[in-house]
Amino acid sequence: MRAGNNTLTFSILFSIFSEMIEIRIHGRGGQGAFTASNLLASALFKEEKHVQSFPSFNAERRGAPTAAFIRIDDSIIRLRCEVYTPDHLIVLDPTLFTIVDVTHGLKDGGWIIINSDKRPDDFPSFTKFKVATVDANSIAVKHHLGSHTAPIVNTAILGAFSKITGIVGIDAVLAVVEESIPLKKGENVAAARETYEKVNTTED
Amino acid sequence: MPYLAVSLANTEANLTGNWRSVRPVYKNKVPPCKNACPAGEDIPLYLALISKKRFKEAWKRIIESNPFPGVCGRVCYHPCERECLRGKFDKEISIHSIERLAADYAHSHSRKDNKKRQRKGQGKKGKKVAIIGAGPAGLTCAYFLSKMGYRVIIFEASSATGGMLRQGIPEYRLPKKILDKEIEYILDLGIKVKNNTRIGTDIDIEDIRRNYNAIFIATGAHKNRKLLIPGEDNSHRIIPGLDFLKGQNSGHNKETGERVAIIGGGNTAIDIARSVLRQGTKPMLIYRRSREEMPAIEEEIHQAENEGIIFHYLTSPTDIIMDEEGKKINLGCIRMKQGEPDKTGRRAPAAIKGSNFIIEADSMISAIGEDPDLSFLPADIKTNKMGILIDANNATTLEGVFAGGDAAGEPRSVISAIGSGKRGAYSIDRYLKGVKSEEISKPSIVQYEDLNLDYFEKGKWNEPLKLSVEDRINDYKEVNKGFSAEMGITEASRCFSCGICNMCDNCLIFCPDITVVRKKKGYEINYDYCKGCLICVEECPRSAMTSIEEIK
Amino acid sequence: MKKVLMGNHAVAYGVLLARVGVISAYPITPQTTIVEKLSDLCARGELNAKLIDVESEHSAMAGCIGASAAGVRTFTATSSQGLALMHELLHWAAGARLPIVMANVNRAMGPPWNIWTDQNDSLSQRDTGWMQFYCESNQEVLDTVIQAFKISEKVLLPSMILLDGFFLSHTSEPVDIPDQEKVDSYLPEYKPKYKLDVKFPLSFGNLTDENYYYELRYKMQEAMEKAKNIATEVDAEFLSTFGRSYGIVESYRCDNADLITVTSGTISSTTRVVIDKLRDKGKKIGMLKIKMFRPFPVEDVRMALENAKKVAVIDRNISFGNGGIFCQEVKSAMYNTGNHIPVFGYIAGLGGRDVTPMVIEDIIDFTMRHDRPGDDIHWVGLKI
Repeated sequence: MRAGNNTLTFSILFSIFSEMIEIRIHGRGGQGAFTASNLLASALFKEEKHVQSFPSFNAERRGAPTAAFIRIDDSIIRLRCEVYTPDHLIVLDPTLFTIVDVTHGLKDGGWIIINSDKRPDDFPSFTKFKVATVDANSIAVKHHLGSHTAPIVNTAILGAFSKITGIVGIDAVLAVVEESIPLKKGENVAAARETYEKVNTTED
Repeated sequence: MPYLAVSLANTEANLTGNWRSVRPVYKNKVPPCKNACPAGEDIPLYLALISKKRFKEAWKRIIESNPFPGVCGRVCYHPCERECLRGKFDKEISIHSIERLAADYAHSHSRKDNKKRQRKGQGKKGKKVAIIGAGPAGLTCAYFLSKMGYRVIIFEASSATGGMLRQGIPEYRLPKKILDKEIEYILDLGIKVKNNTRIGTDIDIEDIRRNYNAIFIATGAHKNRKLLIPGEDNSHRIIPGLDFLKGQNSGHNKETGERVAIIGGGNTAIDIARSVLRQGTKPMLIYRRSREEMPAIEEEIHQAENEGIIFHYLTSPTDIIMDEEGKKINLGCIRMKQGEPDKTGRRAPAAIKGSNFIIEADSMISAIGEDPDLSFLPADIKTNKMGILIDANNATTLEGVFAGGDAAGEPRSVISAIGSGKRGAYSIDRYLKGVKSEEISKPSIVQYEDLNLDYFEKGKWNEPLKLSVEDRINDYKEVNKGFSAEMGITEASRCFSCGICNMCDNCLIFCPDITVVRKKKGYEINYDYCKGCLICVEECPRSAMTSIEEIK
Repeated sequence: MKKVLMGNHAVAYGVLLARVGVISAYPITPQTTIVEKLSDLCARGELNAKLIDVESEHSAMAGCIGASAAGVRTFTATSSQGLALMHELLHWAAGARLPIVMANVNRAMGPPWNIWTDQNDSLSQRDTGWMQFYCESNQEVLDTVIQAFKISEKVLLPSMILLDGFFLSHTSEPVDIPDQEKVDSYLPEYKPKYKLDVKFPLSFGNLTDENYYYELRYKMQEAMEKAKNIATEVDAEFLSTFGRSYGIVESYRCDNADLITVTSGTISSTTRVVIDKLRDKGKKIGMLKIKMFRPFPVEDVRMALENAKKVAVIDRNISFGNGGIFCQEVKSAMYNTGNHIPVFGYIAGLGGRDVTPMVIEDIIDFTMRHDRPGDDIHWVGLKI
């Protein structure tokens, strides 16, 4: 039997997942995309959402492009397959745009939240999507998270995600960061709060 | 599609080197022993040769940096051994005994073939260098300059060569025949020595400057320091230490009587005490600090104690009163206590009031140090308290004039003099070529933590042989016998070879990506495929692999 | 207490709650974080177990056998090639009637090298005398670890808990971690009748000739048969204690079903989504999830399928030269009933190939459009 009748299935897929939100986080090995996905899942769980998070199922190595995923729903999540059509994206490293098809499968109108010191207008090619930027690198370094060459932005960026999408409240994000991060709790919380305040959008 | 998982191109197409965030670098480092040696001997390299029974090659390797292995194997205070990392593991390697073994082997197996070979190059550069003083610094400087192709002449005030090595060190510690062999080897390069030629008296320094392209002054330190106490100059029974040793080394023993008081705590004091003991007397050594602070080599102190020499520590002479016949000395002394540490960390001794007492002796020898006699120098060669003022290149304040060794205030040891002479030779070479000295970056020295100690076993070590006390105190036979060939081989095999690759193949064996390639000398890393896992760095027992941040 | 946990950590919490005394394990992707978490729990003093680091999976199982024979509750975890390396000792553990519990993270066998999920590793150990439980969620994984000790210690056969590599092992979701007190009352201390004890020396694993070997094998089969009822009872007791149950099989929306899909592991979970949608559209399609594969719950399967018009078995595995292994077992269970429903066998998801709702839709669609299976094996989405 060959791969079959996909026209039927696509229509089913769309209606099945109408209420589920799927998010993809792009990063590089070592940047903590998977940790970010777990933190986000925990924050949403605090708000009594059903959640599922997982890394891209690849052998990860430092510096290589990687991704992590989150599913969010009001009822129990039974779906156990990969994420193909995310609603929103988080991009931890803007240099990934040149090597990965970052927006692959992204639904029209979805947010792309980019860790970048540029303005959203500097990413004009994403006409079908909404762009938000925040200089999480500088914010992380300011709060002594990592070094200039390797800032740790995976906690910080979640503040911006909260502000932009409204999917998760900033209080839940900060509480989860406080509970889950073993070191520099205060610094991580402060960084997430700052991205929440400083994120720029095309709608500004 | 093929029926199995097969790439129709081989994996060479996959340049996994681009995965790297750190890279291993194959680079020898400086071992701490070499760093500690003023002459910069390549110690692990010659130990490796000895461990493979290649004695002659080991000797050749040593004399590339030091022409006096036979001497240094005997009298050097071996700062190398203090830094030997094996010392932190079980016991430092007896490097000096191995050096001595290599030299003695080479001297007893020499074929006299070096004369012709070495003289061929002599004077090729056409430039002439005059060296003043045929001690270890001067001879070493002459040796290196001569090997570089300069014409070298040495002006020496005395009738013999060797300086303090000959005049200041007793036969039982450094047999003259060993010294003669090594000096002969140096001079065989074609170096001329003008004996009995004292600068300022027999020849004018300005004359030398006119006739030679450069000068190296290494006149040593021959002026006895005075005790500066009353009665010091009153009798022939009060003998300056260096005079005593010079007399003894030239066969003119000074009359001392039975009870000899020696003042001082350095090697000279110990040498004198042990020498007079061998004349059948009862020496006692008087030192104003404690035993721990004695600058003499520990082994020498230990041997002196075994030989029955009496030590009066924390004792300082105050005055000397001769008896009426002028034969007996009443040496006034005072007890000292250790005060607060001074700037150098050494505790200054302070007299304990009212603790005066008398030591009776038949003669007294003072050995509290020597200073250079620089009265012959022209005014434009500046001096300071230590001696001739020199810069890091051994250059004096007068163009074309260099200086080294004790005369230039270098640390008072044979190996420092040798190191100084060597440095002087290289500086003179640069000066004559008109090249500026290069800034030498701080070498990266191997630390104990850099080693992978899992590859080494704690084990037995050899103690160098020596004559028993009974066998040695009646004459001037050499006390230390060093190592037998077998002992030397096992001892040399203990070397960690810190920072110096000895081609153990660990990097090659452990590399999971087969990127380490063995070459004739050393290894190469194929960075096209090296993923930067750094297993080679971890598994190198001796830190000859280093990791650096990936070059971007 | 509810926590967001990945499947491997759910395993570790199950082990913690079961108060395991000895863990003997060797790491392998994607199982590694189980051992890491257990090691962490031991180091923190939360789990008072002896953790034995060994040099291979063969030794890991040898360590488990020794510990279990000494009367200690024992656990290990592995995956794929690691499980294959244990093979000899799997027979030993079962033959010695040791209630060892193991988590195996389902991962494809190489070559070609593959770290992703399928069931060929565990199904290759089908005939070793181990019970096998396939799970579909992290909650089920945690709960089944606790249940498995109880079942094993009652029937004296070892248990293998199977979770899909990455789809469960590395996926985080909310999991309810039961109270220790409740678990303690549910799972009493393990007290074997015979054990290694220096004070009362006995001989184990003696040479047994044909006079008794045969009977001992009968007793193993008898224990396996008993295990089906015991597992059902243990699950029922779990329900009354913790409010959750799974059954050794589960019929999902099978009422009046024309077609019943037979699934295991995470494919069951995704299939539920598809079934819900199709039922909403009025299509009479249900699902039979097989959780317990050994012993094979023949009676339960017969009963679940007896009124179906068609059966579609989705196998994330293959027995080379025959076909999907669950499919063989289902056909074999049905044969003596005389009720010869057409059974369609599908191979899907090998080596981590994603089994999306689309894939399941395609399978259902194909089955509905054909009266008879035609071929004994159907490959889904083959790119040749």
